[in-house]
Amino acid sequence: MSDIQIYLLEVDKNKPEAKLVAARSASRLESKELKLIDLITSLEEYINNKDDAALRGKSVAYLADVLETLPPKVLSGQERRLLSDFILGRLEGDSEGIGASARILTALEDRGRWDPETAQRVAKTFLDYASPLKDHKLQTDRFAVIQLFDRLIGKYRTPLQELHSGDPEFLAKFIYFFDGEKDPRNLMVVFSILQVPMTEWDISGNAQDLFDAVFNYFPITFKPPPDDPYGITSQDLKDRLRDCIAANSQFAPFAFPALLDKLDSTSMNTKRDVLHTIQTCVSSYELKTINIYAITLWDALKFEILNVQEEDLAEGALKALSMIAGRFAQQEGFLNAYTKPIMKECNQHLEDAPTKQSSASGRIMYALASAATPVADKITKGILPTLFTLYRSSESLTKRRGLLEVFNEIVRAYLDRFRLQPKLNLEELTTFGQDALGVMLRVLTNAPKAEVSLRLTALSGIAQLVALRGLLTEDQRFQAVDVVTDIVLHEHIQGHGDIRSEAIKTIAEMAHTAPDAIRNQAIPAFMVELPDSPADDSSYLPVLEAFAHLSSEQQVFDTVVLRLKNKYSVASAQAASKDYQQALLLAILYSFTHGSPMPDEEGVIRGTYFTDYVGPFLLTLLEQSQTGWDHRFTEIVGRLCNAILRPQGVHFQSQVYNKTLDKIAVARKDSDRMIRRAPFSLYYYAALRPDVIDAEDIVALLQSYAGIARGTSNNETPPVVLQHISLLVNKFIAGKAMQSTLESVGLEVGSLLSSPETSTNSIGVAFSVTKALLVQGKSPALTSKYLKLLLQLLSTPDGKTVAKHFATLLAPDEILTKENHCQVSGLYKQKTFSQLVPSLTAAVRTADPATKPNYLVALSGVLRWLPYSMLETSLVSLTPPLLQTLDLSSDQDAKASTLTIFESVLMHDPNTIAEHTASLVTRLLNCTTAPVNGARVRAKALQCLALVPKMLKREAVVPYRRQVVKKLMVCLDDGKREVRAEGVRCRSAWLGLDEVEEED
Amino acid sequence: MDAEKDNANPTIINPSDLPSRRRSAPTATKQPGLFDALVPAYPSLAEPSSSPEASDSDSDYEPREEIDEQEVYDLISTISDPEHPLSLGSLGVITLDDISVVAPTSARSRISTVTVLLTPTTSACSLTTVIGLGVKVRLLNCLPPRFRVDVRIKEGTSQTADEVNKQLGDKERVAAAMENRNLINVVNTMLVTCE
Repeated sequence: MSDIQIYLLEVDKNKPEAKLVAARSASRLESKELKLIDLITSLEEYINNKDDAALRGKSVAYLADVLETLPPKVLSGQERRLLSDFILGRLEGDSEGIGASARILTALEDRGRWDPETAQRVAKTFLDYASPLKDHKLQTDRFAVIQLFDRLIGKYRTPLQELHSGDPEFLAKFIYFFDGEKDPRNLMVVFSILQVPMTEWDISGNAQDLFDAVFNYFPITFKPPPDDPYGITSQDLKDRLRDCIAANSQFAPFAFPALLDKLDSTSMNTKRDVLHTIQTCVSSYELKTINIYAITLWDALKFEILNVQEEDLAEGALKALSMIAGRFAQQEGFLNAYTKPIMKECNQHLEDAPTKQSSASGRIMYALASAATPVADKITKGILPTLFTLYRSSESLTKRRGLLEVFNEIVRAYLDRFRLQPKLNLEELTTFGQDALGVMLRVLTNAPKAEVSLRLTALSGIAQLVALRGLLTEDQRFQAVDVVTDIVLHEHIQGHGDIRSEAIKTIAEMAHTAPDAIRNQAIPAFMVELPDSPADDSSYLPVLEAFAHLSSEQQVFDTVVLRLKNKYSVASAQAASKDYQQALLLAILYSFTHGSPMPDEEGVIRGTYFTDYVGPFLLTLLEQSQTGWDHRFTEIVGRLCNAILRPQGVHFQSQVYNKTLDKIAVARKDSDRMIRRAPFSLYYYAALRPDVIDAEDIVALLQSYAGIARGTSNNETPPVVLQHISLLVNKFIAGKAMQSTLESVGLEVGSLLSSPETSTNSIGVAFSVTKALLVQGKSPALTSKYLKLLLQLLSTPDGKTVAKHFATLLAPDEILTKENHCQVSGLYKQKTFSQLVPSLTAAVRTADPATKPNYLVALSGVLRWLPYSMLETSLVSLTPPLLQTLDLSSDQDAKASTLTIFESVLMHDPNTIAEHTASLVTRLLNCTTAPVNGARVRAKALQCLALVPKMLKREAVVPYRRQVVKKLMVCLDDGKREVRAEGVRCRSAWLGLDEVEEED
Repeated sequence: MDAEKDNANPTIINPSDLPSRRRSAPTATKQPGLFDALVPAYPSLAEPSSSPEASDSDSDYEPREEIDEQEVYDLISTISDPEHPLSLGSLGVITLDDISVVAPTSARSRISTVTVLLTPTTSACSLTTVIGLGVKVRLLNCLPPRFRVDVRIKEGTSQTADEVNKQLGDKERVAAAMENRNLINVVNTMLVTCE
């Protein structure tokens, strides 16, 4: 049998086999075993079979398969030409096998570029004899043809365009050819084919046909099947279609009316699509075309803004309006014609401000003005005169507020442009801006304090005007700063809303553009308000806090901290109250930690700050006997020292360290002094880089603090001493020397815990050493040994205390951090989890009732600080002990952290907990009762309970509805307002179950 | 579209002018200070139970926070108007001044009374009854049973006040209304925006 015969036998039952047959023919052609002419002849009786169309199609497919597998250069140019003539010739009489014919032509083109005439002939043949394409039922057939045309339009653009210019009918045929295509994969290519004539050819005769050819598909509602192998999304189609619609200005007469018509659609998605398409058209059509339709567009788009249906539709419409304005920016005439009716309408809306319409007008003004400066200037000229006339003629404060809001929108547009180009010409705005400043300053000073929104509007307006550098005169800036400062300093009545905090924010912002006014005007005013030695307790605090806020602006930072320091010196010289002195120090600390201190050349906070702001305190701290320096005081200085010293380089730090080493060492024997100094020492050593430090110093230091920690048996060790031990062990002791060093300084956990007088103290010390080790992660064996020892303690009489301590192991620690140059292992949480949690859950199962709570408390103490993702995999084993934790009557912390875990479980993995629904619901309800549970636990329990009906399956929770809704009545009368609010939310969630039921 | 609404363009009160607990809080209640954040917020090594939240459970011993007018206002001012996408608070339908909470009149009674007077946006507003029903349902669901809920139309603000008041005051009629599928849907849409 010949290859064609075998192929025809196989092709319907076994495609791959048929392909193999074709491949065999191809290789025979390649090896010259088979001549092309013989191959063609062998087809003859099938390809010309008059009675069997399918047979003809299949034999063309055979030829296509053979040619597609044929390596390049096997066929000569003449053979290729012959073949294409043959295929095109038979297409004229018989369009059977059209897909395969297209594949053959594509394969031939692959093997040798066509001359222009061939390309034209190919195109014409298809258009004349196979049109329209939709008559061919098989998507794959059409796809092959479409791809052939994609090739033609890609590589033979000029020959095709010549066809068009030579034949007025060509384009019509071309459009008709693709008419009615429905398959998304084909459409993607059709859109991109059509886009070429749309953009490049002269389409004046066929504009509407061409437009209709694509717009027929608008709006695209295609939803890809769930397992679509081609991955075409409706967005892809939308994007291509949109590009087609926007491809040629000559579409405008059809596109805009049609689009605006669809804007009335009830489907939000269609409207969204329309708005996007309008935007694309506006950005690509010619200016003169847009000019014709600009007003029409405005008249339609405005409704989306004046009567907002969906916020994103309003934004889409605003964007389109803004884009039109942007395109007209340099065309005075167009811009005038466009903005005139808009401004007229907005001016009308302003007359009854404040309304939805007037605030919409503000948005429209902002959208237009932010498009380009000439537009902003035009708006300023057209709107502001009316706005101010209305303002002056109205007595109504709410109306005035509405008008100022619109004014602020226009200034905001300028501000946006100003941020892009700081050299912006503000001439047009200047007069109005200065007038407005006067108006708004009067509002702030004279309007009744209860007019919160009016005053807030004025305040934010002032902030914007000041931010436009160059708009106001120096005098005006000073006035503005004055008035706002006055609010900050003198409005203490909280009954008037949030204006003070807004004013503080404003003043810090103004410091950026008007640092001189802040320095000369605001800061002195603040200083007057800050007493040297205050009489009553806390009235200075709001002023001080506001003052510290100013440090967020780098340009005034130095002035702020210097004034604070001076104030502190005066206060301490006059023996002002300790609280006041501390507050001043805290303000300095706040400035350094939350403000913007000046950096040096390398971007590190300047070292001179250390000399100026820490040095003086350090001396008093180290040299004096520190009378009057309490714990808190020392700690603040320590933190300040930490903030400035920590980022400094080795050189700077060594200098500081060596200078102070002697003075610090002196005190080692004096344990009272050590304890007193500990808060400073902790932050000081936390700031230092490990290579700056003398190893002997560390051992000596550890020894004395270890002594203190173990020795203070009657009274508890100050926490700071334990933190200090933890820091030194973690940061300065290397892996190998760990055990021996711990032994030599008396901190070895094994001996600490085995000594007969295991006291509360040594438990604390043991935990602090273990924490240092596990965060460090360099001595795994020692760490797990210590953790085991600690676990064993849970069943001893000390168990209760020990259990509580477990929460400290993973608690975030502000000392043991990378910023403090500590050794922090990336995986310590995971490691600790795997060492502790399985043993704890196992112990919960077997423990006797007396010690069980200890294990539960320890477990929740460990879990509390772990990210949810870490617990996720162990939820099945964790759920039972966690549920039991909710039964503990005593421990609020354990309950609260367990509830937080359940909240995450309900949110992320509700299914894992579904089988426990009954016990979970009961326990959550129990957690809502007072006074056994604190307010925090009650509120959290209600939050969890509210998630239950939302996250679990309906049928699983409906049975509890009646019981829960009834019990929650009690929560509605809880003593705490915050808990009642949660109760309301929770109850609504459960009541909501009802509705779904009836809809089903 | 505007024509369908009884009052297409009502006055809207700016959110910062609406009454809130914060706004009316007496100066005495101290907000957490700026500098309080500078001290550590996590349990330190020696005091495992010193987490900052732990202390607040003690605050239960403080005097009970009674349900007051502001709390009632917060419950119902966020209800949406059935024809505008705006809250009843911002439309001025509900104002703090028109809410009163009256404690039990005698020592033996536990019943407090909440009275809410509604001000429709126009005197001809046809949806007044639905709004009243929404407010009533919300309060019945959210207040403990010891409260008697009285929702009425403020005198002189609606042409249909008497009729509406009669409906809202009648337990059976309210119950019957809440059997009506359409009404339930409208009321539920109004209540969706409530926290």
